[in-house]
Formats: sequence, structure tokens, C-alpha cells
Amino acid sequence: MSERSVVIAGTGQVCPVAEDNRSIAEMVLEAVESALSDAGIDHNDIDSVVTASVDIIDGLTASNIAVTEVVGAVMKPETRIAADGLCAAIHAACQIWSGAYDTVLVVAHAKTSMAPFQDLMQWAMDPIYLQPLGVDFLTCAGLQAQLIAAGDPGAERRWAEIAARRINAVSDNLSLTEDDILSSPILASPLRRDMCAPMGDSACAVVLRADTDNKDGRPRISGIGHDLEPHGLGDRDLRSWSGLKRASNRAYTMAGIDDPATAFEVVEPSCLYPHEEQLFLAAAGLDEKANLSLSGGLFSGHAPIVAGLSRLATASKAIEGIDGKALAHGTWGPAGQGQAVIILEGAGA
Amino acid sequence: MIREEKIQIPFNFAAGTSGSRFLTALRDSQVILGAKCNVCTHVTVPLKSFCPSCCSDDLAEMELPAKGRLISWTDCPGRGAFALIQLGDKGPILLHRLIIPPSVMLSELNPGMPVTAHFSDSPKGHISDLQGFVISEK
Ligand SMILES: [Zn+2]
Repeated sequence: MSERSVVIAGTGQVCPVAEDNRSIAEMVLEAVESALSDAGIDHNDIDSVVTASVDIIDGLTASNIAVTEVVGAVMKPETRIAADGLCAAIHAACQIWSGAYDTVLVVAHAKTSMAPFQDLMQWAMDPIYLQPLGVDFLTCAGLQAQLIAAGDPGAERRWAEIAARRINAVSDNLSLTEDDILSSPILASPLRRDMCAPMGDSACAVVLRADTDNKDGRPRISGIGHDLEPHGLGDRDLRSWSGLKRASNRAYTMAGIDDPATAFEVVEPSCLYPHEEQLFLAAAGLDEKANLSLSGGLFSGHAPIVAGLSRLATASKAIEGIDGKALAHGTWGPAGQGQAVIILEGAGA
Repeated sequence: MIREEKIQIPFNFAAGTSGSRFLTALRDSQVILGAKCNVCTHVTVPLKSFCPSCCSDDLAEMELPAKGRLISWTDCPGRGAFALIQLGDKGPILLHRLIIPPSVMLSELNPGMPVTAHFSDSPKGHISDLQGFVISEK
């Protein structure tokens, strides 16, 4: 492990809402200003910027050019990652570990209210064999869930219980039951509407900084890992997230974690459906006792691409000032094709 | 304020050498082509020029049966049903449309159920020349 630590110096999140009336740049502005303020710095202190966005969601090619000014990337090195924002954070951390830059701003945005998301995501599938059939990410999630549910008669009720728990954790006013979840309409069997984390518009910004003495006690990144599976669902074993297994093992090795099941105070996965929690726990070597998504995780609302970076921001805040570890997870592509993990270590009080 | 738009641009996606061979076989002979990797033994469908598992370009073309078994399925109300179909014993798995006859309930579907490919009467070298897989009636 490099003696040049990378710490989470500041975070800023624009809470996901179904439709934010502002432009993408205005949403990003709020996230960036909030992260810089949290870090106690301004744009002059930022050496480099890494952004995460996906063109098809923005309806614009090179979707980062729409945020160049607002992330302060004019006359600065900017790198754009077309994957989950947690991958952007991994690349930013590598820039700092390499010694290239000291302070890097990571920004992710998505405004899904601009177009019918399912129709749009068909264009993220193979254009010869899958897009013409109408296959989208939800279809792929349904196929994966059904594969896991087969031969496990208790799965649907167990998943409904998980969905109810996540939804109820979002607000004191909510007390949904498994039966409520199981009576919501089917979207992609066996997945029902209330088993799906609600989607909307969001932005998130995180400042990463090189730190040799960690004088302000911010959590540091002790492990990273990311991985891809083949695009085609028929070319992988959908009963497990093997990409996440490889990604988390890389991160655990780097962080010196031998027993992940007992390692974390806080675990923030990017799970859109309850069956993904089951896949996540198994692949990451965790069990039901893990402190997973205590504030509801993505069931409090999410935007793709932003989700993983927002998990990092949330996990970082949760262990700020305590002596404990946290895991943040991001995923992108159909049925968990892309996977990323960051391990954080708190600096203590 | 919102500026309304509908993005519609003519676009020509290249199926490539193997993809064109796959679509031609589908159109002209109602044959589904896949491949087996000579390096890692991974089987894949549709036919590809490279192995999606190990990146090797040493693949043996396979003619796959038009019958298979159901691996997984999902019903998306308003959008139809989709399935993962294994073509042949230990064959590759294809994601395609699932055609469920009115006599079969969704709850009656089971892994391993036999399905049969249903081909279009007016093929045009498109993935929909294979219209989907039909669950065998009771
Ligand atoms: Zn191979």
C-alpha cells in the first residue's frame, strides 16, 4: 500500500427526485459547490477532474462537454468515464496514487426524466441481436431474478420482505408489508413495481485528496477493484455476480481484509432489486448480518451512473470520525455486467 | 421550460462477418449458428468471430437445433415475454422472445421445459426472422 493516502476530502449530493426542473449543469453545480464547501476548498485547489456520464441518457454525444465549465475543467485535465461513478472515483484515486495530481474532483450525473428509460436502455443492448427484440435492463434483471427464484419457493416472499425493509428505512412514515410489495403490479416477472428502487434525476460530487498525515481525520481509500462480465446473458452464469467477486477480492487483498463478513461497519451496495442484494452478499463474501443500506440504499431514490458514487459519499459520511471500515459498491450494464468496489477506512475520532 | 424532441436518425449497424453469416443462415435455411471455442470450450450463440469468454479467435462453427429447453424467462406486461433458451444438450444459451400459448399459464413454466423455435414466413436477414421460442402445448 502506498504511503500516499487518498482521503475523501468532501462530498456533495443532489438527492434523487423523480424529476428535477433544473438543467443537468445546474444540478451538477449544486453537487460540486456542496463537495468543495465540505472539503473547505475552491476550484483553484482542484488539479484534475474525472466525470462519469452516459451519452444515451443525456441524449447528447460526449455528455461531459455539457458539464465542462460547471465542474471547473476549463484549462484542466478532465477524464470522462462512461460507467458508474464509482469507477470514476477509482480512476481519480489512481491519478493521486500515481503522483500525477494531489486533489481530484469526481462528478457523476444522470437525468433519467428526460426520456422513457426502458426504451432508452434498449439502445445500451447489442444493436443486431437484442435491441430489435426490445430487450432492456429490466428484462435482463427479470431473467436473472427468475433464474435465481427457480427451485427456491421462498425467494419472492423473502425479496418482498427485503424491499419492504429498504422502503420503510427511507421514511418514518412508511410501514409497507411483504403483502403490499407482492400486490404491486408485475414489471418483469418475478419483479414487481415495489421491488424496484425508484429512479430519477441526481448528481453527486466527491473530492479526493492526497494526504500523508490525514490531519483532518477523513476516511481514506484502502482498497479498489473493478471488473466486467461478458455483455451477453447467455455467455455468463447469471446465478452469481462473478465480476463482483473478482472486483471485491481485488479490493480486499489491497486493503488487507481476510474476513469480509466481519470487516465492515457500513456496507452501501448499488442494488436496484432485492435479488441483487442476494447476489451482492454472496459475491462480496458477506452475510445477512452485514450493516447493509441502513438508510434504504437505492430505495431512497437513485439515478444510474450516480448511484455508485453516491454510495461512496454516503459510506464516507457514515464512518467519518469513527475507527471502522466501509464498503461502497457500484454496478452498470445489464444484469450487473460491470462491477466496482471501494473500501474506506475511518481515521477514528 | 422544456424543448421537446424526438431523436430519429437513420443508422446502419454492421452485423460483421460472423453476424452476417448467422443472419444469412437464419434467413435462407432457418438454421441457428453458434460456435464452440477451441481454446476454452466455451459455447456461444449467435455465431461470433471471437470467444466472449477468452478472446480467442479459434472457434468451430456449430449448427444448433431449433429445439431447446427453458433456462429462465420473464413476462413484461405490455412488452411481451423473453427467455434464455439452451439450444441442445450442453449447448449455448440464447436470449430471445418467448411465445406462451394461451393454454399455458405463466405459473406453469418450469426450468427445463421444451421449447421450439418459431421462424418468420417472410425472412429478411434480421434477428426477428426467428420470431421466438414457443412453449410446447400441454
Ligand atoms: Zn474461449
